[in-house]
Amino acid sequence: MNEEFAGIDIGSRTTKLVVVDAAGAVQRRRQADTGFEPMATAEKLLAGTSCARVMATGYGRNLFEIAFAGRTVTEIKAHARGALAFFPGTRTVLDIGGQDSKVIAIGDNGRVHRFEMNDRCAAGTGKFMEVMARTLGYAIEEFGDEALHADSDIAISSMCTVFAESEVTSLIAKGRERREIALGLHSSVVRRVAAMVGRVATAGDIVFTGGVAKNPCMRALLAQLLGRRILLPAEPQLAGALGAALLALESEKYQ
Amino acid sequence: MAITPLMNDGMDGAPAKRVLHSMQEQKEKGRRIVGIYCGYAPIELIQAMDLVPAVLCAFAEGPIASAETVLPANLCPLIKSSYGYILEGTCPFFGLSEAVVAETTCDGKKKMFELAAEVKPMHVMDLPQLPDEAEALVNWTAMIRKLQGFLEKTFDRRVSDDAIEASIKATNRKNRLMRRIFDYAALHPPLLCWQEMYDVGFLALPARGEEIEPLLESLLARLAVRREQGECFGTERSPRVLVTGCPVGGDALKIFRIIEEAGGLVVTPDSCTGIKSFLGETEEDTGDPVAAIARRYLAIPCACMTPNTRRLTALSQLIDRFRPDAVVDFVLTACHSYNVESHKIGRHVGERHGLPYLKIESNYSKSDEGQIRTKIEALFEIARS
Repeated sequence: MNEEFAGIDIGSRTTKLVVVDAAGAVQRRRQADTGFEPMATAEKLLAGTSCARVMATGYGRNLFEIAFAGRTVTEIKAHARGALAFFPGTRTVLDIGGQDSKVIAIGDNGRVHRFEMNDRCAAGTGKFMEVMARTLGYAIEEFGDEALHADSDIAISSMCTVFAESEVTSLIAKGRERREIALGLHSSVVRRVAAMVGRVATAGDIVFTGGVAKNPCMRALLAQLLGRRILLPAEPQLAGALGAALLALESEKYQ
Repeated sequence: MAITPLMNDGMDGAPAKRVLHSMQEQKEKGRRIVGIYCGYAPIELIQAMDLVPAVLCAFAEGPIASAETVLPANLCPLIKSSYGYILEGTCPFFGLSEAVVAETTCDGKKKMFELAAEVKPMHVMDLPQLPDEAEALVNWTAMIRKLQGFLEKTFDRRVSDDAIEASIKATNRKNRLMRRIFDYAALHPPLLCWQEMYDVGFLALPARGEEIEPLLESLLARLAVRREQGECFGTERSPRVLVTGCPVGGDALKIFRIIEEAGGLVVTPDSCTGIKSFLGETEEDTGDPVAAIARRYLAIPCACMTPNTRRLTALSQLIDRFRPDAVVDFVLTACHSYNVESHKIGRHVGERHGLPYLKIESNYSKSDEGQIRTKIEALFEIARS
């Protein structure tokens, strides 16, 4: 028997699909912009797969549950499971996605025991980083590297995406160095995120997931400020989908 | 099979309509109405003077836009909504009220009351906020006596201590009946849903003990029938939730609704619009009924008090009685007292009771319902594991 199990993470910016086999090994991974019709995107990603069970997560999960009669799990549980797959001893997960950020504490039994989520605004999320990179004329992929090359930091006080953008514009007008502004933006996000991490889980390594984890400056500043090791999964943005796929497999197993 | 609504008077789920109907009836009988905003308003005194307390509107998103023409936007939605209703003249209870009793529970409220006083006679009571100090009782007793003087003058009548004592006894009887009703939510699964608890509380809070007793007795009889017939809400496996924190009503009821939609059962609404107002017992036959009232109201564990250790004690008692699987702390945006206190509440719930805890900070808008739903579902995932 060669059954497969899928996890689909319907996020605000991108939708991710991971398919695992009965042993939990990743068979396929796909990704697409969520766009304006999340269910059409989901259908396209799922095309050609014949999975025994599909588990949806992400903000589009409830829509998926209705449209495909699938099962759902929250992003919190999915990310925790995905992080555990990448790093079996995981106790703290930091996930920074397109529109929210969250910190998850995992107990010794491997289950989530508390979490905190910032979802009130774009401050400190992938969206914030994207807008700021664009304002400074950087591609999102190079934003972190450029910031790491700054000679000194600039204090940025606004955390609101709209206000920070105008603060950046005025710093540019004052002739400040682009890389320094970039570093200042990273520092301000990291200070916020570090406070959230401190409230939920105070010690040990941190598994960093979500697209923002790919940013080397974010990782370096976080490690420095918290004095904790930051562990980066091979594909941090797939942690939620992988976790959902594994939960689909496991729910089958235990039924 | 659908469960017959508890009150079944055609107004289930519309408690404001039911209470307005009752207020209008009383007004027609010649009774005069006094508006109140908060659980600290001494209802026993108001009723002893044959006045009718009316809880004023404070829970709709709608009037907030009007309020923000005067008030700052970054203020608690309850204060903005209350004032918006006053400005718009859209709260029917405010319209019926000839005076309003208010308390200095928080900075935002007391400054808003100054503005409200331009529209209607307001009597603001200075609420002591260090309840354990000896002076607190002395001062609060004096404030209640001053309120008595204000009401006697405004409504041209006198009240005796005997009448106040009788009012205390009637309210105690009412509150005991209410606690017996809430006991049905302590069963596994509960025999009451959140909407019914909210509806009954809404009606009972401003009602006179002797007038509401027959209705409460009949509700208890109906609940006994539910028990016999095995009617209940949810199943043994539905996660039971205690919701503590700021008052919940109107558009803020979204928190209860989302919990229900996520498969949970609100078994304890621990706020001033829930069980909290019915928990205390005023000491009877003390010879000084006003001091007895003062003692009972000072014991209300509101976050405006410091230190507010009574809230932790009361919370533990509620957890032991209703056995929830999780605790949700509902904090209204910009309510600093409840917001700061939530840290202690979370620690207490986790360390003392080993229960999962979730703080939800929100306002009256619908904009964050999806995010709240995700957090509640994650809380249930933790509670089940």
